[in-house]
Amino acid sequence: MIELRDIYKTYATSSGPNCVLDGVNVTFPDRTSVGILGRNGSGKSTLLRIIGGAELPDSGDVIRRGRVSWPIGFAGGFNGSLTGEENCRFVARIYGQDIDYVVAETMEFADIGNYFTMPVRTYSSGMRARLAFGLSMAIDFDFYLVDEVTAVGDKPFQEKCRAAFAERQQRSSVIIVSHHIKTIRQYCDRCALLVDGQLHMYDDVEAADEEYQHRMAA
Amino acid sequence: MILVRGFLAQLNVVQALILRETRTRFGAHQLGYLWAIFEAAIMIVTFYVLFKMANRTAPDGMELITFLTTGMLPYQLFSSTVNRVSQSIDGNKALLFYPQVNPLDLTIARTVLEAATYALVFIIIIACVALLEQRVPAVDEVVLVIMGFGLAALLGAVLGQVFCAISVLSKLGERLRRPLLRPLFWCSGLFYTANSLPSEAREVLLYNPVLHVIEIVRAGWFLSYEAVHARVGYVGMWILLLGLLGLLLERVVRRRIEVT
Repeated sequence: MIELRDIYKTYATSSGPNCVLDGVNVTFPDRTSVGILGRNGSGKSTLLRIIGGAELPDSGDVIRRGRVSWPIGFAGGFNGSLTGEENCRFVARIYGQDIDYVVAETMEFADIGNYFTMPVRTYSSGMRARLAFGLSMAIDFDFYLVDEVTAVGDKPFQEKCRAAFAERQQRSSVIIVSHHIKTIRQYCDRCALLVDGQLHMYDDVEAADEEYQHRMAA
Repeated sequence: MILVRGFLAQLNVVQALILRETRTRFGAHQLGYLWAIFEAAIMIVTFYVLFKMANRTAPDGMELITFLTTGMLPYQLFSSTVNRVSQSIDGNKALLFYPQVNPLDLTIARTVLEAATYALVFIIIIACVALLEQRVPAVDEVVLVIMGFGLAALLGAVLGQVFCAISVLSKLGERLRRPLLRPLFWCSGLFYTANSLPSEAREVLLYNPVLHVIEIVRAGWFLSYEAVHARVGYVGMWILLLGLLGLLLERVVRRRIEVT
């Protein structure tokens, strides 16, 4: 279970403070995948970083029970001058995992060939995402935080991701942020809307979509 | 129990960071380590030649090359730690993505790596000198030498931590760092000892904790040298105050680190 209590987050910008999260209260139950729907810049990625603990909120509490992944996506998490393999070894170490196992699993899942032993800075953004995805799959998390990554890669890779998550649904859940209802429909049981810094949870994905369409049109 | 487990997990993180910093600091080749030795050796040789050309000798009956080595390496350890630690957040933003990695771990990892590097470089250079001169170096008090190196690393770490926190808020810290550190190269007793200074100059220069550190190393190394002016407590006070300031600043800025 992950619980967010009264989360506020404001960024200082050149045109004054920008309140991104304005009192978010939500509970993510175990083994329930939740999509978070919102426009670009609505604070989805910030929310995900706060859930994962990469960033601290200005105020409020995040209560995590279970292993929570880092936000998996295009950006972040890898050092460009190290190879894919070295990055995997590092992550395996800090999560206390068996290093060889993680490296082997990631190599197979990411399927990026020789690039695995080349510096990450030579990767395309798709390859980075493949590496991030493969690496997170090699570690057993209770919650996978996913940032828009599913639109990545070709059809077979997308299929692979879906299969991997489907296989895990019994023990883990996904919290996915996206502005595509299609992605969320594929992965999630529930959906939340992030609008004006507030998060509204819907038990039904379609209801959330309807509300989202409605707000977008308004 | 939870504390112990937390400590072990943190230890794990710091260890992983050290391994990875080793890779990024010295590059893909083992030869990267040679570069650190080379850098120090060049400095020592340069000043050795300058001293010889100016017909100067080391003060207080010290042997010139070890005199320069015992000044240069603690100083380099200090300044290199300041520089590395002050850039630790900037150079590792991608890592702060992982919640178990926090900025203080980066500071610790970089400090340990610098200390280990310069301790090794020191040993290697001393060994080379011993080989060239065909005699075993006589060390007065090994504990003092080790303590001196430890103090140099700590002093560098806490000062670096202060700069590092400031750098989150503004570019000013980075701009000020080098001009502020530059004079220390000449004020820390690399080319003289506190005992050999005129008393007015000594009084002023003794405000500089790095001079105390180098005095401590030399007092430990040379049988003939008594560091009557050096105070461990004075260096400790600087470490404590800068350490508190650094931790305080870290508290202030930790919510403003933008993870990318």
